[in-house]
Amino acid sequence: MIYLRQLWAIAWKDLLIELRSRERVGSMAGFTALVGVLFNFAIDWTAVRPDEIASALIWVTVIFGGTLGLGRTFELEAQDEAFQGVLLTPAPRDALFLGKVLSNYVIVLVVTLLVLGLFGLFFALDWGDHPIVLVGTLALGGLGFVAVGTLFSAVSSGTAIGQTLLPVLLFPLLVPVVIYGTSATGRLLVGRPLDEVEGNLRILGAFALVALAVGATLFRYVVED
Amino acid sequence: MEIAGERGRKRRPVGSGIRWTSVVTTLLGVALIVLLHWMVFFWVNTEATMGIVQRIFYVHVPAMWVAFLAFGIAALSSAVYLWLRDERLDMAAVAACEGGMLFTTVGLITGSLWGKIAWGTYWEWDPRLTLTLLLWFIYLGYFMVRAATENPERGRRLSAVIAIVGALDIPLIHVSVLWFRSLHPQPVVLDTRQPMNLDSDMLLTLMIGLLAFTVLFLGVMGFRYGLERSRRTLDIRLARRMA
Repeated sequence: MIYLRQLWAIAWKDLLIELRSRERVGSMAGFTALVGVLFNFAIDWTAVRPDEIASALIWVTVIFGGTLGLGRTFELEAQDEAFQGVLLTPAPRDALFLGKVLSNYVIVLVVTLLVLGLFGLFFALDWGDHPIVLVGTLALGGLGFVAVGTLFSAVSSGTAIGQTLLPVLLFPLLVPVVIYGTSATGRLLVGRPLDEVEGNLRILGAFALVALAVGATLFRYVVED
Repeated sequence: MEIAGERGRKRRPVGSGIRWTSVVTTLLGVALIVLLHWMVFFWVNTEATMGIVQRIFYVHVPAMWVAFLAFGIAALSSAVYLWLRDERLDMAAVAACEGGMLFTTVGLITGSLWGKIAWGTYWEWDPRLTLTLLLWFIYLGYFMVRAATENPERGRRLSAVIAIVGALDIPLIHVSVLWFRSLHPQPVVLDTRQPMNLDSDMLLTLMIGLLAFTVLFLGVMGFRYGLERSRRTLDIRLARRMA
C-alpha cells in the first residue's frame, strides 16, 4: 500500500509539473500536428488510400512524438541536482521508476489520442468497427514503449550528449512493438474481425510486462550516483 | 619469487600472461582461417543449385555465430558485473562487444554479397538480416554510451544495462521479424543453412569455419581485454602521480 502511495507521489509530482507548465505535452502536440501536415504534402494521395498507410503513420508519429517527450523525463530534475533530492526520498528505486513510467504513460496517451483525432480529421479515416479496441491496441503498445523509453531516457540523461542518444538506443528495441502494433491497427482500420488481432494484443501485452519488469529491476543501477 | 626492494629487479609488465595466451590463440586462429580458406577455395565441392556463391556461407555462418556468442558473453558478464562490481567482468564485456561488432559487420557484408547473387539484391528484409542489423545497432548504442560518459564507473553501469536489455530483446525481435515475413510471401530461397542437408565435406568445412572464427575471436578478445587492463592500470598510475 505504501509502495503504491510512493509510486503515485512520484507520478503525481511529474503530472502536476506538466499540468502547470504544459511544456512536454505542448511540444509533443505541436510536433505531431505538424508531422500530420507534412505527411499530407509528402504522400501522393492519388497513389495510396489513407486507410492503407494510416496505421504506419499513426505508430511512427506516436513513437517520434513520444520519444521527444520521454527524453525530457529527467531533464528538469537534472537542473540544480534536484534528482538527488528525489533519490533521497524513502521510495524504493523501482517505485520511482514505475512512477516515472506512469506519468510518462499518461502524457503519451494524451498525445496518442490527439494523433488519432487529428489524423482522423486530416486524412478522413474511418475508425473501423472497434474503435475502443483500436485505442486499446495503441495503449498496450504504448505501455511497452514508455517502459523501455523511460529506462533509456535515464541512461541517456546520464551521458554527456544527453537526449541525442535516446533514439539510437531505443528504436532498435521497439521493432516488436512496431510490427505487432501496426499490423493490429491496420487490420482494425480496415474492419477485420477481432480474433485476428488477439494474438498481436497478447504479444504487445507480454512486451509491456517484460519491459516494466526489466526496467524496474535495472533502473537502480542507472541512477546509482 | 622476486624480493621486494631488490635493486634493479625486473617488474613483470602488466597483463603479460593474458598477452601470451592471446598471441598463441590468435596465431592458432589465423592458421585455422588460412586452412578454412584453402578448404573453401580448393577442397570443398561446389554446391549443386547455388553454385560457387554458396562458398561464402563458410565465412558468413561462423562470423554470425561468433557475433551472437560475443553478445551472449557481453550480456552475461555485464549482468554479473552489476552484481559483483568486478572490473574484470566489465573489461571482458567491452572486449566481447568490440569483437562482436567486428564479426557482425563481417556477417552483414558477406550476407549482402551473397544476397546480391542469390536474391539479386544487396539488401532484403530477411529475418536474419534484419536481426543482424538491429544487433549491430544495439552494439553501437553500447559504445556510444561508453564514449559519451565522463565518469568511467557510470559508463560501465549504463552500458551494462544496455547489453542486458539488448540481450533480452533479441529473441523478441527475432520472433517478431520471423512473423512479419510470414505475412508477406517471398520467393522461396533454398535453405542450405541447415547442417542436416549438408554433404560431409561441406559439414566438415563449416565445422572448421566455426572453430577458426571462435578461436580467432577468443584471441582478439584476449588482446582487447589486455589492452583495456593496461589502459586502466595506466590511468590509475597517472592519477596517483598527479595526486
